Amino acid sequence: MAGTIIGSGMTIEGEITSDEEVVVVGTVRGKLHVDAAVTVETGAVVEADVAAASLSIGGTMTGNASASDRVDLLTGGRLVGDVKAARLTIADGASFKGNVDMDV
Amino acid sequence: MTTPSTIGRGTTIRGSVRSDGDLDIHGFVEGSVTVKGELVIAETALIKSDVSGRRVIVRGAVSGNVSADELIVVEAGARIVGDIGAPQVGIRPGGLIRGHVATGAPLPARTSQAAASAQAAKGRPAVAAATPQPTTVTRATAPVPAPAARAVATPARAPAPAAKPAAAPAVPARAPAARAPTPAPARTPIPAPPPTPVPLAAPPPAEAEEEQAVVDVQADESAEPAAAEANTGGPPPPVVPAVPKGAKAQVRRGRGAK
Repeated sequence: MAGTIIGSGMTIEGEITSDEEVVVVGTVRGKLHVDAAVTVETGAVVEADVAAASLSIGGTMTGNASASDRVDLLTGGRLVGDVKAARLTIADGASFKGNVDMDV
Repeated sequence: MTTPSTIGRGTTIRGSVRSDGDLDIHGFVEGSVTVKGELVIAETALIKSDVSGRRVIVRGAVSGNVSADELIVVEAGARIVGDIGAPQVGIRPGGLIRGHVATGAPLPARTSQAAASAQAAKGRPAVAAATPQPTTVTRATAPVPAPAARAVATPARAPAPAAKPAAAPAVPARAPAARAPTPAPARTPIPAPPPTPVPLAAPPPAEAEEEQAVVDVQADESAEPAAAEANTGGPPPPVVPAVPKGAKAQVRRGRGAK
């Protein structure tokens, strides 16, 4: 079971800190600091800077993404913001606007 | 449709949490929690904010007011410091509450001072009806006819008495039963000390306020075992004697400073 699930119909405004997996299906505004995987599901809205071990985006995200491992922008995913990660995949059908810093 | 939400035990949220569906909290939340469905506050949870939902089940710690449109259940091991209000309130043996308990209606939306006075006018009569005796006894010893409302509730003084008779008939059947076992043992230590310091107390408002604080604690005390007894019929939980000790110490400290 995932540690934290922010279900659809749920809105969090503020700062989230976690050391376990976070799945967002609802809305998050503010900041997201997670020492594990973050999944932004289809239909989710994230207006926050996200720092995570890995980040997978299937929904809509506005804000900077920083991952110690990887960022995956999935089909249907939408990201407006800068990405800082060692690895980045952008799937066919995803939309992305921003800069990429891959730490070279 | 809404998916069920969980805030895991390793998660900390500072800010507001709103949900149209159900929510389980196992972690730490500071800000506010508003849920339209069922809210479960698990054993590992710590919430430092006001909490409201349709149904609220508390097993963990809450520092703030708890309000529900339907039901609040305070399970064994729960710790609540704040007022609770809902049409139905259940307190299991081992659940700890420090605050007012009001059945009949959810707490007023805001907990600012203005709302506190609104609560004094609207929500409090239920509490007053449940534990009227300690309030009146200590009030009699105070030099000023201090209203039962707390100091912040001054603007509510006028509406409070007006509202009281209206609310009284709402609880008449239950009040005597809940009142009977508790006040006698809980009240005995308090009426004895007040007469001595009162004559030499120069500023009566401060004194009255202090008395009021004691009364508040006492009211909480008597409210808890009453509810617990109603549930089980057994003796009050062991946590109860520990708190009056603190209350007495508070009184003594107050005296010593004078």
